[in-house]
Amino acid sequence: MECRELNELAIDRLTGQIAPAREEALAAHLEECAGCAREIAALERAWEFLGEDPGLEPTRDFRRRSRELLEEEMLRRRVREFRPRPRWVRPALQAAAILLAAGTGYLAASRRTSAALVPAADAAVTPSRLPDLNANPRLSNLSYQPVSSGGKVDIGFDVTTTYKLEGSPSDPEVARLLAYVLSGAAENAGERSRAIELVQQHYGTGVGETSPDIVHALTATLRKDSNPGVRKKAADALSAMPMNAEIRAAFLDALRADRNPAVRLVAIDTLAAAAKVSPADPSTIQSLRERAFDPSENGFVRAKAASALKTMEY
Amino acid sequence: MLIRSEPGPGDRSGDRDLLERIRRGDTEGAATLFERYAPALLRFADRLLADRGMAEEVTQEVFVKVIGRAHQYDGRAEVASWLFAIAANACRDRRRRDRRAPVVSIEALPEPAGHEEGVEGTLIDREKREAVRRALAELSDEQREALVLARYHGLAYAEIATILGISVGAVKTRIFRAVETLKARFSQGAASWNAAN
Repeated sequence: MECRELNELAIDRLTGQIAPAREEALAAHLEECAGCAREIAALERAWEFLGEDPGLEPTRDFRRRSRELLEEEMLRRRVREFRPRPRWVRPALQAAAILLAAGTGYLAASRRTSAALVPAADAAVTPSRLPDLNANPRLSNLSYQPVSSGGKVDIGFDVTTTYKLEGSPSDPEVARLLAYVLSGAAENAGERSRAIELVQQHYGTGVGETSPDIVHALTATLRKDSNPGVRKKAADALSAMPMNAEIRAAFLDALRADRNPAVRLVAIDTLAAAAKVSPADPSTIQSLRERAFDPSENGFVRAKAASALKTMEY
Repeated sequence: MLIRSEPGPGDRSGDRDLLERIRRGDTEGAATLFERYAPALLRFADRLLADRGMAEEVTQEVFVKVIGRAHQYDGRAEVASWLFAIAANACRDRRRRDRRAPVVSIEALPEPAGHEEGVEGTLIDREKREAVRRALAELSDEQREALVLARYHGLAYAEIATILGISVGAVKTRIFRAVETLKARFSQGAASWNAAN
């Protein structure tokens, strides 16, 4: 064995991937070559010393949060298996359609109504005809736009068929649908962000009372969404809503625990703005102090927290 | 043999079955895979990013991606390699987005579980652990990835090559250069700690 082969053999030995014959050759060489013996001993010390870092252990809280996240993700990704219909179903469906058409024609003729039939694609689905949201259907192709008359909104989405829901933002069914979208029915972070933006357009303007379902969905998103951009959007939306105990608690949690400094900055701004309306509670002041004096905190966050405290205390 | 890697998930024989269960929508399958690999992936991400919070987010991100992509797993690599590859990519994304110096303050280091040797012993251990973290932070990202997979996770060259998308030769080169870089630093550190003891 030559000294120049030492490097490769040393790494093979350290990682336990050296062939027995090469190991013997290396051992024999090290007995004769003091330079290589010193070199490999130094490499081995470095390798051993790396073991002084035992590494992290997952905390109970991390395991719990992760299990919740995975359960939510599994629910959202649940795949509905396609099952081919038995052969008799198709003719039976055709027969049923013919009977239904005949019955509809008979009823229309007997009532002698002059109203034109509305094409199904354009018909607005009433809130009572929402799909069963308890079955966690996946919603796709979400669209959301204001309707000109009466302050109503128009929400479109696909499940197995296209649904369109039109109603006032204060309508409980509309709020429930929006909360459902926010709570994880949207397929990805981009869709969740878009849903929050759409909610913010309507509910963040201060017009009308904010739905508790929406507030709950947004605070849950602020606390639990894995995507920092989505959490920031949720924080922005909540910051435009009238402050209440649930929103304050969510912002205090974000200030204490959110890993993203942008989210913490929104929390500080919102809590400081609320303190101008009514005196800040002790937990808000305490949380801001912790941020302001935490040496490991982001510089902007520390400065913002200190500034917020100044406006509150003086 | 000097490998002495950390205990890993051990038996990997059920990994593909777990993926199949995830594909079918079995939440317990996802939970079992998480319990099997989350500790190793958390340590891997923490050593690359030197930030517990980000490491936890990366670990969760890995499993969310696994749930979404279980049907894309083609079986050519071990499930473990696939998981570590996703984690390595997620860590690179984080580093690109957040180029903070990967140095951890001594206060941020976790307390060792079940440590009962007194204050002095704890401080010495923490100094050693911080020295390891600082030394790892001095390596290039590429060297650190290869070294951590080999030293702490005991993976074979071929697996590391698959995870990092490089050749086996490049893996060995990166590991050697990393150990060479650490050699002088650890030699000095060991001397001072021996004196302290």
